[in-house]
Amino acid sequence: MTGAAIAGLGLTEMGKVYGRSSTSLAAEAVRLAVADAGLALTDLDGLLVSSGVKQDVNVNLGAVLGLHDLAVLNQVNAYGATAGVMVAQAAQAIAAGVATTVACVFADSPLKPKQKAGAAWGSGAKRPGAARNLHGMAGWSVNSGATNPNILYALCARRHMERYGTTSEQLADIAVAQRAWAVHNPHAQMREPLTVAEHQASRWIADPLHLLDCCLVSNGAVAVVVTAADRAATLAQPPVHLWGYGQAHAPRRMHAGSDWGLVTPAAKSGPAAMRMAGIGVADVDVAELYDCYTYTVLVTLEDYGFCGKGEGGDFVSDGMLAPGGKLACNTGGGQLSSYYMWGFTPLSEAVIQARGQGGGRQAPRTDVVLVSGNGGILEHHSTLVLSPHERNRS
Amino acid sequence: MSTFPQVEPDEASAAFYEAAARGELLMQRGPSGTVLPPEARTDPETGSPELEPVVVSGEGTLVSWVVVHQAPLPALADAVPYVSAVVELAEGPWLMVRLLGDPTTLHAGDPVRARYVTSGTDEEPGAVLPVFQQVPGTAPR
Repeated sequence: MTGAAIAGLGLTEMGKVYGRSSTSLAAEAVRLAVADAGLALTDLDGLLVSSGVKQDVNVNLGAVLGLHDLAVLNQVNAYGATAGVMVAQAAQAIAAGVATTVACVFADSPLKPKQKAGAAWGSGAKRPGAARNLHGMAGWSVNSGATNPNILYALCARRHMERYGTTSEQLADIAVAQRAWAVHNPHAQMREPLTVAEHQASRWIADPLHLLDCCLVSNGAVAVVVTAADRAATLAQPPVHLWGYGQAHAPRRMHAGSDWGLVTPAAKSGPAAMRMAGIGVADVDVAELYDCYTYTVLVTLEDYGFCGKGEGGDFVSDGMLAPGGKLACNTGGGQLSSYYMWGFTPLSEAVIQARGQGGGRQAPRTDVVLVSGNGGILEHHSTLVLSPHERNRS
Repeated sequence: MSTFPQVEPDEASAAFYEAAARGELLMQRGPSGTVLPPEARTDPETGSPELEPVVVSGEGTLVSWVVVHQAPLPALADAVPYVSAVVELAEGPWLMVRLLGDPTTLHAGDPVRARYVTSGTDEEPGAVLPVFQQVPGTAPR
């Protein structure tokens, strides 16, 4: 028995893709991933399904794909940490002999024609008038004004700024570095180079976060196929081996002494995954980090141990994360500049890099590729350690 | 429209809003003595769901704050820009609240105090809400 590997990757068209349901996009991504691996749909005996802002893809996807005999079929949700959790579950099912070939898919279609991206986060309760009379304790919560992720992540970023002196310009360094990578990514929605000044001039969403600190919103789907490493080696693509995985969850504690916003469950998930992989943070060649906001990247770098707590601002300065920098990070542009497929954004780019298929954005070394997923308001975390090499078994 | 969208109490929240109308901040207390926010369901120290109402001081300190420029809901469209904050009550719990006053003088750790405002409009008033404000005389520093 060998470990697990990612053998197939499927990406649909991304961004303003209209007129298609999330389920239709999910089905296409699975078909693409299976074909990419050199397999047939009928080779799948496992399917793990996840959905995004619209929460509208579920286990019915099995029937949509004509998969009428599956050993594993689940909907998985740990918010932005889901992708890493799914790959770990697939690997566990394969290691246990429960399944041999598991597709993991994410799809979302919140964007509508002639509607601002921000409106994609709306719901029925957010229609004008619908919230005219707010009932019960929810009325007090709404009146706090802290009702969406932009504001809640901004509260976290402000806390870090107050405690450690982190600046908006340092967050800009992250956005600028990622855009420099995205310039070379044909899948990216934003490919025009960006400057710190342009970041600083972008409008406030929730001060201290500017527009360009916030991720995109995208329609599309991504799927990967996970199978045993020895089988993956016989398939169409270079295998991407799973060396380690971790997850950790810290639903926020709203009480004196809470470190919410300053320390995330990445501080447990990352070391667990690296321990399983037998590596340390100094071994990481490429870091594909969940970036719903620039601040998420900064705090994840700290929690993984790339730098000390509070040193993230200095760490990301001077082009550290940009092409040619010391740490190749979010090499496809991430969710800030390429596409917002939750944890499948960093996962898909990790697979592309580990295969050496990054074209103009290929990182110089890819022996160890770290992938993070982050969900809730810095409350859920998953980590994967991937490599083009089979892990040395001692 | 109002900068504080109109709130209608329900049965579960009636005591909280009635306290606010009297100028009192009503929290909950678990068997461990831990004071918890009104929406809490469990005392995390003991795991107990047996929480009793408790009036707290309304005094606290500022943990973090944000100046919201893009309204997250149409109901808040008339309120922007406004300040949302996390405050730590003297008794321990953290609350997400609206913060009144000038945000340019704020720092983490500043003393803050509860104030009470009527939601809705003059024509259609709703429940009285606890909000917070920097304690005068503590800024700038």
